[in-house]
Amino acid sequence: MGMNRTCWWLVDVVSRMLEPGERDIVLGDFAESGESRGRALCDILGLVVRRQAALWKDWRPWLVLAGLIVPLGMLLSIVARLTAGQTATYTWLYANNWDWALLRYAGFWYEFAGSAALVFVSCLTLVCWSWTAGFVLGSLSRSIVRLYGLLFCLMLVLGGLLGAPLYVGFLVEHIHRPSSPDEQDPVFGLMFYRVMFPLIVQAVLVAAPSLWGIRQGAEARGFPRSRRIVLWTVAVGALTVMLIREPGLVFILNVHWLYRFWQSWHMRLLQPVVYWPVGYFVANAIRQRWHGKTAS
Amino acid sequence: MLGEFEYLLLTAAARLGEQAYGAAMRQEIEEATGRDCSIGALYTTLDRLEAKGFVKTWMGDPTPQRGGRPKRMVRVTAKGTQAASEFYSAVTRVSRGVSWA
Repeated sequence: MGMNRTCWWLVDVVSRMLEPGERDIVLGDFAESGESRGRALCDILGLVVRRQAALWKDWRPWLVLAGLIVPLGMLLSIVARLTAGQTATYTWLYANNWDWALLRYAGFWYEFAGSAALVFVSCLTLVCWSWTAGFVLGSLSRSIVRLYGLLFCLMLVLGGLLGAPLYVGFLVEHIHRPSSPDEQDPVFGLMFYRVMFPLIVQAVLVAAPSLWGIRQGAEARGFPRSRRIVLWTVAVGALTVMLIREPGLVFILNVHWLYRFWQSWHMRLLQPVVYWPVGYFVANAIRQRWHGKTAS
Repeated sequence: MLGEFEYLLLTAAARLGEQAYGAAMRQEIEEATGRDCSIGALYTTLDRLEAKGFVKTWMGDPTPQRGGRPKRMVRVTAKGTQAASEFYSAVTRVSRGVSWA
Protein backbone atom coordinates (compact mmCIF):
# COMPACT_ATOMS: atom_id res chain seq x y z
CA MET A 1 0.00 0.00 0.00
CA GLY A 2 2.81 2.37 0.97
CA MET A 3 4.77 1.42 -2.15
CA ASN A 4 1.69 1.94 -4.29
CA ARG A 5 1.10 5.38 -2.82
CA THR A 6 4.75 6.36 -3.18
CA CYS A 7 4.74 5.30 -6.82
CA TRP A 8 1.64 7.34 -7.64
CA TRP A 9 3.07 10.28 -5.70
CA LEU A 10 6.20 10.02 -7.85
CA VAL A 11 4.05 9.88 -11.00
CA ASP A 12 2.31 13.06 -9.82
CA VAL A 13 5.60 14.81 -9.03
CA VAL A 14 7.27 13.85 -12.32
CA SER A 15 4.16 14.76 -14.32
CA ARG A 16 4.47 18.36 -13.06
CA MET A 17 7.39 18.76 -15.47
CA LEU A 18 4.90 18.50 -18.34
CA GLU A 19 2.78 21.33 -19.68
CA PRO A 20 -0.46 21.52 -17.61
CA GLY A 21 -2.66 20.49 -20.58
CA GLU A 22 -0.54 17.49 -21.49
CA ARG A 23 -0.26 16.47 -17.83
CA ASP A 24 -4.05 16.32 -17.57
CA ILE A 25 -4.34 14.25 -20.74
CA VAL A 26 -1.70 11.74 -19.67
CA LEU A 27 -3.07 11.32 -16.14
CA GLY A 28 -6.51 10.87 -17.68
CA ASP A 29 -5.10 8.15 -19.96
CA PHE A 30 -3.65 6.36 -16.92
CA ALA A 31 -6.97 6.55 -15.07
CA GLU A 32 -8.92 5.28 -18.08
CA SER A 33 -6.62 2.37 -18.94
CA GLY A 34 -6.12 1.35 -15.29
CA GLU A 35 -2.35 1.57 -15.74
CA SER A 36 -0.20 -0.30 -13.22
CA ARG A 37 1.91 1.93 -10.95
CA GLY A 38 5.23 0.66 -12.33
CA ARG A 39 4.27 1.13 -15.95
CA ALA A 40 2.74 4.54 -15.25
CA LEU A 41 5.98 5.70 -13.64
CA CYS A 42 8.10 4.39 -16.54
CA ASP A 43 5.73 5.95 -19.06
CA ILE A 44 5.65 9.37 -17.43
CA LEU A 45 9.44 9.37 -17.00
CA GLY A 46 9.84 8.43 -20.66
CA LEU A 47 7.57 11.24 -21.79
CA VAL A 48 9.22 13.84 -19.53
CA VAL A 49 12.70 12.83 -20.73
CA ARG A 50 11.61 13.05 -24.37
CA ARG A 51 9.96 16.45 -23.82
CA GLN A 52 12.95 17.88 -21.94
CA ALA A 53 15.41 16.45 -24.46
CA ALA A 54 13.42 18.04 -27.29
CA LEU A 55 13.78 21.45 -25.64
CA TRP A 56 17.58 21.13 -25.78
CA LYS A 57 17.50 20.96 -29.59
CA ASP A 58 17.05 24.72 -29.40
CA TRP A 59 20.09 26.97 -28.77
CA ARG A 60 18.47 28.99 -25.96
CA PRO A 61 18.69 26.44 -23.11
CA TRP A 62 22.39 25.97 -23.96
CA LEU A 63 22.88 29.73 -23.76
CA VAL A 64 21.12 29.83 -20.37
CA LEU A 65 23.27 26.92 -19.15
CA ALA A 66 26.56 28.44 -20.29
CA GLY A 67 25.68 32.09 -19.67
CA LEU A 68 23.69 31.92 -16.43
CA ILE A 69 23.52 28.57 -14.66
CA VAL A 70 27.24 27.72 -14.69
CA PRO A 71 28.68 31.19 -13.93
CA LEU A 72 26.00 32.16 -11.40
CA GLY A 73 26.18 28.78 -9.66
CA MET A 74 29.95 29.02 -9.42
CA LEU A 75 30.02 32.67 -8.35
CA LEU A 76 27.34 32.17 -5.70
CA SER A 77 29.30 29.17 -4.38
CA ILE A 78 32.40 31.36 -4.07
CA VAL A 79 30.47 34.17 -2.36
CA ALA A 80 28.85 31.58 -0.05
CA ARG A 81 32.28 30.20 0.84
CA LEU A 82 33.62 33.68 1.66
CA THR A 83 30.48 34.59 3.61
CA ALA A 84 30.76 31.30 5.50
CA GLY A 85 34.37 32.12 6.31
CA GLN A 86 33.43 35.50 7.74
CA THR A 87 30.34 34.24 9.55
CA ALA A 88 32.21 31.24 10.98
CA THR A 89 34.68 33.52 12.74
CA TYR A 90 31.92 35.43 14.53
CA THR A 91 29.92 32.28 15.24
CA TRP A 92 32.98 30.62 16.75
CA LEU A 93 33.77 33.76 18.72
CA TYR A 94 30.39 33.73 20.47
CA ALA A 95 29.27 30.08 20.37
CA ASN A 96 32.56 28.37 21.25
CA ASN A 97 33.70 30.95 23.80
CA TRP A 98 30.44 31.73 25.46
CA ASP A 99 30.41 33.05 29.00
CA TRP A 100 27.17 34.22 30.63
CA ALA A 101 29.12 36.77 32.62
CA LEU A 102 29.76 38.67 29.38
CA LEU A 103 26.13 39.77 29.33
CA ARG A 104 26.81 42.14 32.20
CA TYR A 105 29.29 44.24 30.21
CA ALA A 106 28.12 47.11 28.04
CA GLY A 107 31.21 46.67 25.88
CA PHE A 108 30.14 43.12 25.03
CA TRP A 109 26.74 44.30 23.80
CA TYR A 110 28.39 47.02 21.72
CA GLU A 111 30.71 44.49 20.07
CA PHE A 112 27.93 41.93 19.71
CA ALA A 113 25.63 44.42 17.98
CA GLY A 114 28.41 45.36 15.55
CA SER A 115 29.23 41.72 14.72
CA ALA A 116 25.57 40.74 14.39
CA ALA A 117 24.93 43.65 12.02
CA LEU A 118 27.93 42.68 9.90
CA VAL A 119 26.91 39.02 9.72
CA PHE A 120 23.28 39.96 9.04
CA VAL A 121 24.20 42.26 6.15
CA SER A 122 26.54 39.73 4.50
CA CYS A 123 23.96 36.94 4.88
CA LEU A 124 21.16 39.17 3.58
CA THR A 125 23.31 40.15 0.61
CA LEU A 126 23.96 36.49 -0.22
CA VAL A 127 20.27 35.60 0.15
CA CYS A 128 19.27 38.51 -2.10
CA TRP A 129 21.77 37.55 -4.81
CA SER A 130 20.70 33.91 -4.67
CA TRP A 131 17.02 34.83 -4.82
CA THR A 132 17.71 37.19 -7.73
CA ALA A 133 19.61 34.48 -9.65
CA GLY A 134 16.68 32.12 -9.13
CA PHE A 135 14.19 34.82 -10.13
CA VAL A 136 16.00 35.43 -13.43
CA LEU A 137 16.15 31.69 -14.19
CA GLY A 138 12.51 31.16 -13.23
CA SER A 139 11.27 33.96 -15.44
CA LEU A 140 12.94 32.58 -18.58
CA SER A 141 10.85 29.62 -19.71
CA ARG A 142 7.93 27.81 -18.15
CA SER A 143 8.43 24.45 -19.86
CA ILE A 144 12.05 24.03 -18.80
CA VAL A 145 12.03 25.83 -15.45
CA ARG A 146 12.20 22.69 -13.28
CA LEU A 147 15.16 21.39 -15.22
CA TYR A 148 16.88 24.77 -14.85
CA GLY A 149 16.27 24.50 -11.10
CA LEU A 150 17.73 20.99 -11.01
CA LEU A 151 20.78 21.99 -13.05
CA PHE A 152 21.31 25.07 -10.90
CA CYS A 153 21.22 22.94 -7.74
CA LEU A 154 23.69 20.49 -9.31
CA MET A 155 25.93 23.44 -10.16
CA LEU A 156 25.70 24.65 -6.56
CA VAL A 157 26.69 21.20 -5.29
CA LEU A 158 29.60 21.11 -7.73
CA GLY A 159 30.58 24.67 -6.85
CA GLY A 160 30.22 24.09 -3.12
CA LEU A 161 32.24 20.87 -3.04
CA LEU A 162 34.87 21.52 -5.72
CA GLY A 163 34.85 24.91 -7.44
CA ALA A 164 34.61 27.26 -4.46
CA PRO A 165 37.22 25.53 -2.25
CA LEU A 166 39.69 25.53 -5.16
CA TYR A 167 38.99 29.17 -5.99
CA VAL A 168 39.15 30.31 -2.38
CA GLY A 169 42.45 28.41 -2.10
CA PHE A 170 43.68 30.41 -5.07
CA LEU A 171 42.55 33.65 -3.41
CA VAL A 172 44.32 32.77 -0.17
CA GLU A 173 47.50 32.02 -2.08
CA HIS A 174 47.50 35.11 -4.27
CA ILE A 175 45.44 37.71 -2.43
CA HIS A 176 45.25 38.17 1.29
CA ARG A 177 41.71 37.40 2.45
CA PRO A 178 41.49 37.31 6.24
CA SER A 179 38.06 35.71 6.17
CA SER A 180 39.19 32.74 4.07
CA PRO A 181 39.43 29.31 5.72
CA ASP A 182 42.88 28.43 7.03
CA GLU A 183 43.47 25.11 8.79
CA GLN A 184 46.03 26.70 11.07
CA ASP A 185 43.76 29.15 12.84
CA PRO A 186 41.54 28.21 15.81
CA VAL A 187 38.27 28.60 13.88
CA PHE A 188 39.02 26.61 10.75
CA GLY A 189 41.07 24.11 12.64
CA LEU A 190 37.68 22.76 13.69
CA MET A 191 36.20 20.46 11.07
CA PHE A 192 32.71 21.83 11.63
CA TYR A 193 33.68 25.37 10.60
CA ARG A 194 36.02 24.27 7.84
CA VAL A 195 33.83 21.63 6.15
CA MET A 196 30.26 21.57 7.45
CA PHE A 197 29.59 25.26 7.98
CA PRO A 198 30.23 26.33 4.33
CA LEU A 199 27.89 23.58 3.14
CA ILE A 200 25.18 24.68 5.60
CA VAL A 201 25.58 28.29 4.39
CA GLN A 202 25.43 27.07 0.79
CA ALA A 203 22.21 25.11 1.45
CA VAL A 204 20.42 27.68 3.62
CA LEU A 205 21.55 30.99 2.13
CA VAL A 206 22.02 29.98 -1.51
CA ALA A 207 20.12 26.85 -2.57
CA ALA A 208 16.89 27.53 -0.65
CA PRO A 209 16.56 31.23 -1.70
CA SER A 210 17.47 30.33 -5.31
CA LEU A 211 14.70 27.74 -5.51
CA TRP A 212 12.32 30.21 -3.92
CA GLY A 213 13.42 32.82 -6.48
CA ILE A 214 12.83 30.37 -9.33
CA ARG A 215 9.29 29.86 -8.09
CA GLN A 216 8.69 33.61 -7.78
CA GLY A 217 10.24 34.23 -11.20
CA ALA A 218 7.93 31.65 -12.75
CA GLU A 219 4.93 33.40 -11.17
CA ALA A 220 6.18 36.79 -12.37
CA ARG A 221 5.81 35.63 -15.98
CA GLY A 222 2.13 36.43 -15.63
CA PHE A 223 2.86 40.11 -14.85
CA PRO A 224 2.26 42.86 -17.41
CA ARG A 225 5.16 43.34 -19.83
CA SER A 226 6.20 46.76 -18.46
CA ARG A 227 6.46 45.41 -14.91
CA ARG A 228 8.44 42.38 -16.10
CA ILE A 229 10.91 44.67 -17.89
CA VAL A 230 11.41 46.75 -14.73
CA LEU A 231 11.92 43.63 -12.57
CA TRP A 232 14.32 42.12 -15.06
CA THR A 233 16.36 45.32 -15.31
CA VAL A 234 16.68 45.56 -11.53
CA ALA A 235 17.53 41.84 -11.24
CA VAL A 236 20.21 42.02 -13.92
CA GLY A 237 21.56 45.16 -12.21
CA ALA A 238 21.80 43.32 -8.87
CA LEU A 239 23.62 40.39 -10.49
CA THR A 240 26.00 42.80 -12.24
CA VAL A 241 26.83 44.30 -8.84
CA MET A 242 27.71 40.79 -7.63
CA LEU A 243 29.92 40.19 -10.68
CA ILE A 244 31.83 43.41 -10.06
CA ARG A 245 31.93 43.42 -6.27
CA GLU A 246 32.82 39.82 -5.53
CA PRO A 247 36.21 38.29 -6.31
CA GLY A 248 35.11 36.17 -9.23
CA LEU A 249 35.04 37.85 -12.62
CA VAL A 250 37.41 40.62 -11.57
CA PHE A 251 40.27 38.23 -10.78
CA ILE A 252 39.55 35.70 -13.50
CA LEU A 253 39.60 38.35 -16.23
CA ASN A 254 42.21 40.42 -14.41
CA VAL A 255 40.08 43.56 -14.70
CA HIS A 256 40.93 45.21 -11.37
CA TRP A 257 39.99 48.64 -12.76
CA LEU A 258 36.38 47.41 -12.67
CA TYR A 259 36.64 46.85 -8.92
CA ARG A 260 38.27 50.26 -8.35
CA PHE A 261 35.57 51.86 -10.50
CA TRP A 262 32.98 50.16 -8.32
CA GLN A 263 34.62 51.51 -5.17
CA SER A 264 34.11 55.13 -6.32
CA TRP A 265 31.53 56.91 -4.14
CA HIS A 266 28.98 57.64 -6.88
CA MET A 267 28.90 53.98 -7.90
CA ARG A 268 28.37 53.03 -4.27
CA LEU A 269 25.03 54.80 -4.45
CA LEU A 270 23.89 51.99 -6.75
CA GLN A 271 24.72 49.26 -4.25
CA PRO A 272 21.28 49.21 -2.52
CA VAL A 273 19.91 47.67 -5.74
CA VAL A 274 21.26 44.37 -4.38
CA TYR A 275 18.50 44.37 -1.76
CA TRP A 276 15.69 44.80 -4.27
CA PRO A 277 14.06 41.46 -3.29
CA VAL A 278 13.24 43.01 0.09
CA GLY A 279 11.48 45.90 -1.68
CA TYR A 280 9.76 43.40 -3.98
CA PHE A 281 8.30 41.47 -1.04
CA VAL A 282 7.28 44.61 0.83
CA ALA A 283 5.53 45.93 -2.30
CA ASN A 284 3.82 42.55 -2.84
CA ALA A 285 2.65 42.42 0.78
CA ILE A 286 1.24 45.96 0.55
CA ARG A 287 -0.47 45.15 -2.74
CA GLN A 288 -2.03 41.97 -1.34
CA ARG A 289 -3.20 43.79 1.77
CA TRP A 290 -4.68 46.55 -0.37
CA HIS A 291 -6.47 44.01 -2.63
CA GLY A 292 -7.71 42.19 0.47
CA LYS A 293 -9.17 45.39 1.86
CA THR A 294 -10.85 46.43 -1.40
CA ALA A 295 -12.24 42.89 -1.90
CA SER A 296 -13.76 42.79 1.58
CA MET B 1 8.05 9.02 -46.24
CA LEU B 2 6.48 7.97 -42.96
CA GLY B 3 8.21 5.95 -40.29
CA GLU B 4 6.81 2.61 -39.16
CA PHE B 5 5.41 3.96 -35.87
CA GLU B 6 3.97 7.02 -37.59
CA TYR B 7 2.14 4.70 -39.97
CA LEU B 8 0.82 2.64 -37.05
CA LEU B 9 -0.53 5.79 -35.39
CA LEU B 10 -2.18 7.06 -38.57
CA THR B 11 -3.77 3.65 -39.16
CA ALA B 12 -5.03 3.41 -35.58
CA ALA B 13 -6.48 6.94 -35.79
CA ALA B 14 -8.14 6.18 -39.13
CA ARG B 15 -9.61 2.92 -37.81
CA LEU B 16 -11.00 4.57 -34.64
CA GLY B 17 -12.47 7.50 -36.57
CA GLU B 18 -14.43 9.82 -34.28
CA GLN B 19 -13.23 7.85 -31.24
CA ALA B 20 -9.53 8.37 -31.94
CA TYR B 21 -7.68 9.71 -28.91
CA GLY B 22 -4.44 8.91 -27.07
CA ALA B 23 -5.46 6.04 -24.79
CA ALA B 24 -7.70 4.34 -27.41
CA MET B 25 -4.99 4.54 -30.10
CA ARG B 26 -2.46 3.13 -27.68
CA GLN B 27 -4.71 0.16 -26.92
CA GLU B 28 -5.36 -0.37 -30.62
CA ILE B 29 -1.64 -0.43 -31.43
CA GLU B 30 -0.79 -2.76 -28.52
CA GLU B 31 -3.51 -5.20 -29.56
CA ALA B 32 -2.47 -5.14 -33.21
CA THR B 33 1.27 -5.45 -32.71
CA GLY B 34 1.39 -7.37 -29.42
CA ARG B 35 4.02 -4.89 -28.21
CA ASP B 36 3.97 -2.19 -25.54
CA CYS B 37 3.38 1.31 -26.79
CA SER B 38 4.83 3.93 -24.46
CA ILE B 39 3.01 7.17 -23.75
CA GLY B 40 6.22 9.05 -24.56
CA ALA B 41 6.51 7.54 -28.02
CA LEU B 42 2.78 8.03 -28.65
CA TYR B 43 2.55 11.72 -27.80
CA THR B 44 5.90 12.83 -29.23
CA THR B 45 5.08 11.04 -32.50
CA LEU B 46 1.63 12.60 -32.53
CA ASP B 47 3.28 16.02 -32.15
CA ARG B 48 5.55 15.24 -35.09
CA LEU B 49 2.63 14.09 -37.24
CA GLU B 50 0.72 17.23 -36.34
CA ALA B 51 3.71 19.41 -37.20
CA LYS B 52 3.87 17.70 -40.61
CA GLY B 53 0.16 18.36 -41.09
CA PHE B 54 -0.77 14.65 -41.15
CA VAL B 55 -3.13 14.82 -38.17
CA LYS B 56 -5.10 17.43 -36.31
CA THR B 57 -5.44 17.16 -32.54
CA TRP B 58 -7.57 18.97 -30.00
CA MET B 59 -8.69 18.67 -26.39
CA GLY B 60 -11.79 16.54 -25.96
CA ASP B 61 -14.32 16.73 -23.18
CA PRO B 62 -13.41 15.45 -19.70
CA THR B 63 -15.12 12.21 -18.65
CA PRO B 64 -15.72 10.72 -15.17
CA GLN B 65 -14.00 7.52 -16.35
CA ARG B 66 -10.81 9.58 -16.74
CA GLY B 67 -11.15 11.30 -13.37
CA GLY B 68 -12.60 14.40 -15.00
CA ARG B 69 -9.58 14.84 -17.25
CA PRO B 70 -9.76 15.61 -20.98
CA LYS B 71 -8.68 13.44 -23.93
CA ARG B 72 -6.39 14.42 -26.78
CA MET B 73 -8.61 13.75 -29.77
CA VAL B 74 -7.00 12.96 -33.14
CA ARG B 75 -8.21 13.22 -36.73
CA VAL B 76 -6.22 12.19 -39.81
CA THR B 77 -6.04 14.98 -42.41
CA ALA B 78 -6.18 14.52 -46.18
CA LYS B 79 -2.41 14.96 -46.29
CA GLY B 80 -2.04 12.27 -43.62
CA THR B 81 -4.31 9.90 -45.55
CA GLN B 82 -2.20 10.40 -48.67
CA ALA B 83 1.06 9.82 -46.76
CA ALA B 84 -0.31 6.62 -45.16
CA SER B 85 -1.57 5.42 -48.54
CA GLU B 86 1.86 6.03 -50.12
CA PHE B 87 3.58 4.18 -47.28
CA TYR B 88 1.19 1.24 -47.62
CA SER B 89 1.70 1.10 -51.41
CA ALA B 90 5.48 1.19 -50.95
CA VAL B 91 5.37 -1.65 -48.41
CA THR B 92 3.07 -3.68 -50.67
CA ARG B 93 5.31 -3.09 -53.72
CA VAL B 94 8.51 -3.92 -51.92
CA SER B 95 6.94 -7.05 -50.44
CA ARG B 96 5.78 -8.38 -53.82
CA GLY B 97 7.19 -11.82 -54.53
CA VAL B 98 8.58 -12.18 -51.03
CA SER B 99 7.16 -14.82 -48.75
CA TRP B 100 7.88 -14.50 -45.05
CA ALA B 101 5.88 -17.52 -44.04
